[in-house]
Amino acid sequence: MNPTFFPVSERLFTHFLDTTDGTICLPACSSAADVRNQTAPHKLRFPLQLDLEASLSEQIQASTHAPASHRFGPFCDNVIGMNWRLPTGRMVRIGERVVKTTTGYDWHRFLLHSGLRFGEPVDYVLRLRPDCGSDTLVFLRGDFRDLSKAASILLKGGWMHWLESLDFMASESGVELRIWIHTVPEEAGIFEAHLTEIAALTQTLIEIQRGASPPVDGIPDLAIKTTPDRAIDLARSISNDAIHSAALCYSGVVHVWLPSVKAHQAGVESLVGPHLDTLLSIGGDWRSRHIRHDKPIAAEAAWIKTLEEAIHGT
Amino acid sequence: MQTNAIAIQLKRIISRGRVLTSPAQLSGYASDGLGYKAYTPDAVVIPADAEELSQFMAEARHLNIPVTMRGAGTSLSGGSVAAQGGVIVHTSALKSVREIHTDGFWCEVECGVTLSHLESKLKPHGLFYPPDPSSGPVCTLGGNVASNAGGAHCFRYGVTSNYVLGVEVLLLDGSRHRFGGPAGGRGGWREDWKRFMIGSEGTLGAFTRFWLRILPLPEKIWTFRATYPDLRTAESAIHRLVAHPCFPTAIELLDPRGVAMVESSPMACGLPRGSFMLLTEIDGPAALVDSRVRAVDQILRDAGSDDVVYSDQEEQRKQLWKARKAAGGLLGQLSPDYVVQDAVIPKQALATILQLVYDEADAAGIMAVNIFHAGDGNLHPNFLFNSLIPGQLEKVEGISHRLMQRVIDVGGTLSGEHGIGNDKAKYMPLFMGPESMRLQIAVPAAFNEGHQLNPLKVFPGRKFVA
Repeated sequence: MNPTFFPVSERLFTHFLDTTDGTICLPACSSAADVRNQTAPHKLRFPLQLDLEASLSEQIQASTHAPASHRFGPFCDNVIGMNWRLPTGRMVRIGERVVKTTTGYDWHRFLLHSGLRFGEPVDYVLRLRPDCGSDTLVFLRGDFRDLSKAASILLKGGWMHWLESLDFMASESGVELRIWIHTVPEEAGIFEAHLTEIAALTQTLIEIQRGASPPVDGIPDLAIKTTPDRAIDLARSISNDAIHSAALCYSGVVHVWLPSVKAHQAGVESLVGPHLDTLLSIGGDWRSRHIRHDKPIAAEAAWIKTLEEAIHGT
Repeated sequence: MQTNAIAIQLKRIISRGRVLTSPAQLSGYASDGLGYKAYTPDAVVIPADAEELSQFMAEARHLNIPVTMRGAGTSLSGGSVAAQGGVIVHTSALKSVREIHTDGFWCEVECGVTLSHLESKLKPHGLFYPPDPSSGPVCTLGGNVASNAGGAHCFRYGVTSNYVLGVEVLLLDGSRHRFGGPAGGRGGWREDWKRFMIGSEGTLGAFTRFWLRILPLPEKIWTFRATYPDLRTAESAIHRLVAHPCFPTAIELLDPRGVAMVESSPMACGLPRGSFMLLTEIDGPAALVDSRVRAVDQILRDAGSDDVVYSDQEEQRKQLWKARKAAGGLLGQLSPDYVVQDAVIPKQALATILQLVYDEADAAGIMAVNIFHAGDGNLHPNFLFNSLIPGQLEKVEGISHRLMQRVIDVGGTLSGEHGIGNDKAKYMPLFMGPESMRLQIAVPAAFNEGHQLNPLKVFPGRKFVA
């Protein structure tokens, strides 16, 4: 195609906060705390967070999901636009500042978690949600089978739409279900009553922490994408005295934290290895911020080459 | 290539399915939902199954003619028409719901499955697939994925791209690939290729099947209908609902011209003439959603309505939706031709853009009706005209061009859920800078370099050269 018909120059996002649409554009190096400081005065929030201090970019490269993805979907459904710096140094606008688009090919979702192989984000446009004012963490504790049953009941019922997250946590101190509720204060009791019923039904112990902070688990060393029905078992099988994991139940994502920097690379590969064939057969994947995925498989090499030529303008 | 020569070749490839070549048969495939632009294909093939479709794709390159995939043909952007002639591949035989995994919250479906058929299969399991374009009873998932379809309830539930976990695609080199799968990741690939496939409008490959994310059905739904005397009060209601913790599933608006159209028809609902009609819904467990009814009623009244009606009863809810559902069909009765635009704008520009639509349409003597997804800022201005009257089509295209330029100026986008097709392809150079355009064009260059698949769509220069 002849490129001479392009009449406009590149349009980039400028930083903004649109309280009507609930969108914000800010540097990709902003932390979750930075976002909160800008949005909270307007009773808006960005619910997807893994870490308060790390940059959004670090978090997004580490995992496609956060606990609140249970309710709002993965990062790619909540980061809706970017200013992206190509490896040539040129900047390009990717995605939108509006929440819905089918204008052209979806480079936005393609690049967002691409591991910085095609450049890097400079600014993000985030979709914000109403801040309802009250966070409650509910923990269900018991044996593994009862917790699995409780998770299944919660996922299959109509309440699942209204839980901020439903996470199976496994660590040296045991296993538990963590349920995050974000609601207006006057509705918190309705949620608590329902969860208390579930606890009784599944013979699990319930602990309710009202006025809690949203859960912040830290950036995982390994994130595995599987199906929702496999996530809890996978998290349990991976965790041990030194390795903590969290299954984001509906998202089918397992986040894993390793004990030391030294253990990271070898640890990740040894953890993923036994599950790799199954993962790939169901269209799952894994990513680790400690390991770069640079090598394409043969079938995609030519496609990547074409994209890289466009990116480099050759 | 002569039509009879094409037919001979096609019949050699498609032996179990059908090859259509008679003018009467082909005329049914000449247009999509954008009825006024007709392009009669040279032939239509209906592969019997995925295997036969695969055989066709493996040999398509040697046919050396354009190939256009088509589901139910309900696209509103001129997406599934043979704009450059050639063969239309109708996927109606690929209609199996292959698996519903209730514990994994996914299903596997073939590309010709209609949304309503999938809904009927999921419902007994207490599950649903949220995207709900208004063509739901007939449109296929292949078309939905190709155009990243949305619908009224996308305000909370999101569009098709939020629900596609995996795509199986046949490329023109005869290869078959699965991008993603039930788990929704990359699979064995380094890159997440399904992202390019969703919304690619049939320009990259032929879809055969999908893995889709599904959700538990909401326990209870309340539907609210309110009317407003002017846009200012209707906008106030929209903004309040968007910010409210009740998280409505849908916020829809019908403008006074739309209300007048409904009220002048046998579908009249008793709406006040000259009013804006707003529809919204909330859903959830009864204990939760019932506690929110009073708050939503109050929001709608505080914004300036003294005409708020609501119900949780199925039949009454259908009545509340009646005007909104009827409006689309009435457009076709009022006018021989109409164009529906699909821009998405930052909602603070709503009044500006609507006024532009009214001013431009009135000045040109063209009827304009706005029926749209207000919560998302997804406008659907409908321009009613008669393409047989000299100059009318040109007027509508002029209005559309100026509208799209203004949408871009306020930070919006050209299409929210219909796709670009050949109707909006001409606006793409207004929207994208040279770097963006270079990246965009690289995608079909990677998968369909000669633009044999669905040429003249998405970008105006995508022409197949035999």
